[in-house]
Amino acid sequence: MAGYEVPRKFLTTVVGSYPKIPPAMELIKKRRSGELSEEEFRKLIKGPISEAVKDQIEAGIDIISDGEQSREDMVVYFAERVQGYRPGDWVRIFDNVYFRKPIIIGELKWTREMIVEDWIYATSISMGRPVKGIITGPYTMMEWSFDLKYGDRRELIIELAKIIRREIDELVARGARYIQVDEPALSTRPWREEAELLKEALDVIFKGLDAKRIVHICYGRLEKIIPYILDYPVDQFDLELKNSNFRLLPYLKEYGYDKELGYGVVDVHSLQIETVEEIKGYIDMLMKMDFIGPEKVYVDPDCGLKRLPRSVAKAKMRNLAEAAKLAREEW
Amino acid sequence: MKIWGMVLGGFPRSRYARYALRDRERGVIPFKDDVEAIDRASVQVIGAQLVAGLPVVVDGMIDWHDIFRPFVDAWRNVTVDGLLRYFDNNFFYRIPVFTGEPDPREYVTPRRVLRFKETADPATLKVVLPGPVSFAFMSKNNSGLSNEELAEKIAYILRDEAKKAIEAGASLVQVDEPFLADIDATKDHARLAAELADKIVEGIEDKAVVTVYFNVPEPSVFEELLNTKARYVMVDVVDAPGRAEKLIRGTGFGSHTPVIGAVDARRIIDDKPSFVEKFLKMVDSGVDEAVVTTSTWLDLIPFRYALRKVYVLGRIVEELAEKNGYEAYTIWR
Ligand SMILES: [Zn+2]
Repeated sequence: MAGYEVPRKFLTTVVGSYPKIPPAMELIKKRRSGELSEEEFRKLIKGPISEAVKDQIEAGIDIISDGEQSREDMVVYFAERVQGYRPGDWVRIFDNVYFRKPIIIGELKWTREMIVEDWIYATSISMGRPVKGIITGPYTMMEWSFDLKYGDRRELIIELAKIIRREIDELVARGARYIQVDEPALSTRPWREEAELLKEALDVIFKGLDAKRIVHICYGRLEKIIPYILDYPVDQFDLELKNSNFRLLPYLKEYGYDKELGYGVVDVHSLQIETVEEIKGYIDMLMKMDFIGPEKVYVDPDCGLKRLPRSVAKAKMRNLAEAAKLAREEW
Repeated sequence: MKIWGMVLGGFPRSRYARYALRDRERGVIPFKDDVEAIDRASVQVIGAQLVAGLPVVVDGMIDWHDIFRPFVDAWRNVTVDGLLRYFDNNFFYRIPVFTGEPDPREYVTPRRVLRFKETADPATLKVVLPGPVSFAFMSKNNSGLSNEELAEKIAYILRDEAKKAIEAGASLVQVDEPFLADIDATKDHARLAAELADKIVEGIEDKAVVTVYFNVPEPSVFEELLNTKARYVMVDVVDAPGRAEKLIRGTGFGSHTPVIGAVDARRIIDDKPSFVEKFLKMVDSGVDEAVVTTSTWLDLIPFRYALRKVYVLGRIVEELAEKNGYEAYTIWR
């Protein structure tokens, strides 16, 4: 992995997902219907992954992802590959629009690698840039699935954590240095007992792990959950800040935040492309608050970019990287 | 102690109700065809409640897109906007936007009572209304009124709804204030909710339920809500059982008949009777009546499991009555 040296401060990264690049969606559908085997799918999805990787490199991102081109949904993707799940039943998302929420019907078991091959491929074409290994967290898997087997949330989340740990071990054995666990469900239930439940699971996932340990949380009531998660066994929280107008920052300062920060500076729900000056301003604002050093700040988007048009996603990344470069000269 | 069961609110759509609404939106079928499909699904869910012996049933509100929408559609000076997460669910409601003082073009619930009361017999029908505090504070308020004033205007419309629903034959009026369990809810919200609930159910207090769900309200918030004159008050004890227990042992239900949301409406696994029993035992020495209900509406789980939950609810009521010497109030007794 020679040839690329990551900067010492204001590293740039992504949260993970990137707009689906054709024919990714078509391949996912064919895989689901059985028209493609898992092996055939993994081979063909390399095309979209290489495009996603290329965009990130061209935009100037330091720590990239595979763009999650294989994953239509962050929970369903894993539910389709972990033993013990069956395809879901219809639940409403809004109006008359539905999705199939996966159902746990048997003992959960890791049976095969789920994200390793995509990670290896992305790494092989990353021109030396580290590729984050990104996996949906146990709390979100639990909350966004139905359970007919365990009936006990603590037992269930620990089982899910063991499966996730197994997958992460495979990644780390292949050389992954950045591991990110995504937990968007946590901020929707910002109660202490929920945060403590996830902490137990994260102990299983991260204990003794020789890699950068990151948890991504976004939207909802982040400021309510912050005091309960500061002692999580992680090196970095990757947080959405731009969309909520950076209202979280004073709380981080107040609570004596001392971990690394994935600093979400572009809004993935808005088509408007933040300018270099705007993003640089957000970085300056953080620095002026004087509670975190520039070497602990990872500049990135609020959340996955998958809902944006590809051109907008790429432009947001490019400006973000440009702003980080300017900030490195100043701070 | 007399115990009985009821479903808290709406049901999910059956497959054919979903298809019919979709086809109707696409203009493939005429209006009456989707109404008929929804009626058939309503008959299914009423039937399920009857088989479970529930003495008070809901029509399922199969056609409601969310708790606010039918009222938004029926009132002037309010429309809908984008989607917003509905509490901690993976479900999103359309934000009502008030552009002036709401003014009813028509009433929502009375004609439903007329439509379904024969199907519900020998049980009776309950109607469910969005609480005015939840309605106002979860909307975009461009009306020029304060949120409190807007909530009051909403309450006056809902008062007429409630009165007309009872006249049409409803046996119970439920006012849902899930906002009071929100982490940002205050005593002032609860005080207003109690006051406005009293306006809505004025004269029918004995047939009125006020509900709080998706989380356990703060004790100080719940205490304020207990000032309502509504006979029944409901809390969700599933979502955070530890805090629910503390609330019931500490604050209790005052002089109200407790309605305990102990059948988990957001998970599909069968509920354990012992869990429900634990909460019934917390209240059984102080009251002569208690109601067991679902922790929230049943519309967040698939149709077939919503039916199963009704069955489980009915079974648990009978089992616990038998075991503890409570009097089970069902359509058979
Ligand atoms: Zn996110």
